Amino acid sequence: MSDAAIERGPAGSGGGPGGRSGPRRTLQQVVWRLLPLTPFALVLLAWVAYWVIARPSAATLPAVQDVAAALWELAVKGELAIHVLASLWRLFLGVALGVATGVIGGFIVGLNKPIAQFLSPLIVFFNAISGIVWLPLVIGWLGIGTALAVFLIWNTVFFIVFQNTVLGVQLVPQVYEQGVQALGGGRWQTLSSVILPGALPYILTGLRSGLGFGWRALIAAELVGATTGLGQMIFGATEYHRSDIIIGGCLLIGLIAIAMDRWLLLPIEQRTIERWGLVFDARKAE
Amino acid sequence: MTTTAAAPPPAGVVPSSPLRKGGVLRPLRSFRILLPFAALIAVWWAIWASSEFSPQVLVSPVAVWHAFLHLVSYGVLAEYASTSLTMIGFAALLSLVVGVPIGFAVGVNRYAAHALEGFLRFLQGISGIAWLPLAIIWFGFTHTTTLVIVVYTLIVPIVFNTMIGVRAIPEPYMLALRSLGASRLRMVKDVYLPGALPSIVVGLRLGMGYGWRALIAAEMLVRKGGLGDLIFGARTFGQIDRIITGMIVIGCLYVVVDRLIVQPIENLTVARWGVLRQ
Amino acid sequence: MADDIGPSSRDKIVVSGLRHFFDSAGGSVQATDRVDLAIRAGEFVTLVGPSGCGKTTLLKALAGFIRPTEGTILCDGAPVRGPGRERGVVFQELAILPWRTVRRNIGHGLEIARRPRAEREATVARLIELTGLAGFEDRYPHELSGGMRQRVAVARTWAADPDVILMDEPFAAVDAMTRLTLQEELVRLCAATAKTVFFITHSVDEAVFLTDRVLVMTRRPGRIKAVIDVPGRASGRDWESFKVDAAMQAIVEQVLRLVREERGAATPAAAAGAPA
Repeated sequence: MSDAAIERGPAGSGGGPGGRSGPRRTLQQVVWRLLPLTPFALVLLAWVAYWVIARPSAATLPAVQDVAAALWELAVKGELAIHVLASLWRLFLGVALGVATGVIGGFIVGLNKPIAQFLSPLIVFFNAISGIVWLPLVIGWLGIGTALAVFLIWNTVFFIVFQNTVLGVQLVPQVYEQGVQALGGGRWQTLSSVILPGALPYILTGLRSGLGFGWRALIAAELVGATTGLGQMIFGATEYHRSDIIIGGCLLIGLIAIAMDRWLLLPIEQRTIERWGLVFDARKAE
Repeated sequence: MTTTAAAPPPAGVVPSSPLRKGGVLRPLRSFRILLPFAALIAVWWAIWASSEFSPQVLVSPVAVWHAFLHLVSYGVLAEYASTSLTMIGFAALLSLVVGVPIGFAVGVNRYAAHALEGFLRFLQGISGIAWLPLAIIWFGFTHTTTLVIVVYTLIVPIVFNTMIGVRAIPEPYMLALRSLGASRLRMVKDVYLPGALPSIVVGLRLGMGYGWRALIAAEMLVRKGGLGDLIFGARTFGQIDRIITGMIVIGCLYVVVDRLIVQPIENLTVARWGVLRQ
Repeated sequence: MADDIGPSSRDKIVVSGLRHFFDSAGGSVQATDRVDLAIRAGEFVTLVGPSGCGKTTLLKALAGFIRPTEGTILCDGAPVRGPGRERGVVFQELAILPWRTVRRNIGHGLEIARRPRAEREATVARLIELTGLAGFEDRYPHELSGGMRQRVAVARTWAADPDVILMDEPFAAVDAMTRLTLQEELVRLCAATAKTVFFITHSVDEAVFLTDRVLVMTRRPGRIKAVIDVPGRASGRDWESFKVDAAMQAIVEQVLRLVREERGAATPAAAAGAPA
């Protein structure tokens, strides 16, 4: 899914339309800011309405307050923290490994045309089976638990970061390199002052995508092969028909995904890419 | 009065291409495609032969080949594969039929688009698989569950990209047609649909990638047929040869569907109409 | 009319028998025909020629980015094997690094040469003055106009203090007004620093204005067709005087005629005029 925002409102940070001054514009800016909340509000409304009208069983669709209560209960018992932390820890490990291997591998391949051409079909194929498809095989090697989850996350993140890095390295305009060479720069200077910063926008895109995909792969992995973690929490709740826990868990999963993207990655992007004014093709490697 | 010697200067005598080291993702000749796999199989065989792996952990390429032949000859592979392919095809169709109109309806209005954007991102963050437990409670271990999950996974990028596609249509096109007195329907047919089509196809392609994986994962849990069921079932019996066979088939099918069906469509629309955004 | 271009001991750059072919989809393409030339130390030499005649190929060979198929290039007596500090290059496209400020771009060459910080800062400051970039030191390239960016490119090359500077149509992508200003600035810069410069351009006006000698290249595959001296660079040039100087304009006409011949567009009027 493209990361391009559909519309940035003009006049200030995400402000609404128009160039009218004064309180009218401020009101429009506020409305613009609040708009993204409307679908959530609508869903919430529909949920409550359905519950009041159709009175489904707790197993099918619990009341909104039940979900909140279930989450609260888990939080208070400390179980929620355990699950969240377990998941985040695995994510961190998997992403760190994936990014490290992806960037290093991406540089090696991106700078070396014969190797790139040779490996290309393999990359395409393994990309097609990345993530959960490895589960049945790897579960025999690593059992259930953190190792399995980290492997699956690594697998997912690696390919994304790798492909983006290769693309980034290849797309650094040759003239930048030549400019540095004409200043007397050797291989190392070219690598550190041209290729690395030049490929950075793509690497960061890969990191951002990778984090999102890694999180999703983690949940899938935990559904089947873990004893703790958010994925396991919601899958375990299936047995007891605890829909309230499931829904609460899913919402939490979504929230964490957004939080990570917004507060972790966006600042990094802003400090580098946007500061340098680098704009690139939005059709990046997925 | 400036005197110039010639027409506007070219970039240089030696043509420079932006991808100076060649593209990574465009294999062309069959030899080039097959050689790396041959090398991989050779490495695999070497690893297997040189160590005492129990058949529960790793098998030789030969064993996998036999398993493949076995599954094909009994029609098992065809059955499981067709279940998966039917499911993804049907889900894709459904997602397009439902998602594109929604994308249009929302996309034409910048407020609606802005409102929906964050919500779609949130949904994508949750991913179809996370909803599996709930879907299982609602629909049981059935094909419906799988379909719901895959459609969910597919529909989000389709709606999102339709929205982007519509918003990227330059305003002059729409104003021009409106000033010619075009009705709403005509606007859709003549401007919105072709204008947003490249973006929609990109969204479909992305969605198929996510959707295929979500399908396999769903099949692993629902266990009602399909390649995910095949490889997960084989796990229960420790049939590594079948697992690997299944994995290879999953990979190949995806590559085939993506490269030979979806990507050409994308290239056709994008090439003919151009990517309108940015 | 043709100057004596044989090598001498004061020669900074000597090109002998250079011919270059490159591979393309349709087979081998000849980029340049036999090129011989010598550039003396401290000279400013410009090269004009029609599109595709091989000017850029020649420059890239001089810079060391390509190895010519035939022929040798000597710089200070030593053969050119690859790019290096002693031959600075100013490119036509944006080549300064977008992720470095103006200051850090200009100082890049000195950074690479590991010059001490104080020296670096002093040189950078001097060049910022000389190229009129004062006030923009901490901006990033994307915040600057095309003309400013090329000033940074020129400053960067000059800061590294190479003996030879190769310039590949550096002002081609800049708007006409700024271009005139940049040309005058370049003249002043060269007067303040003793560099050997090789400058490629399409513009005959520009070629004559900047230079000690104009080399005219034939169309593809190109070789040096004519060499025309342009006296008086040492006493400084500016566009106002240049435009009304009869001698200068005569040289411009002459060069223009030579170039037009290559494009097969010699006019009767030009043929009637007597060469200088």
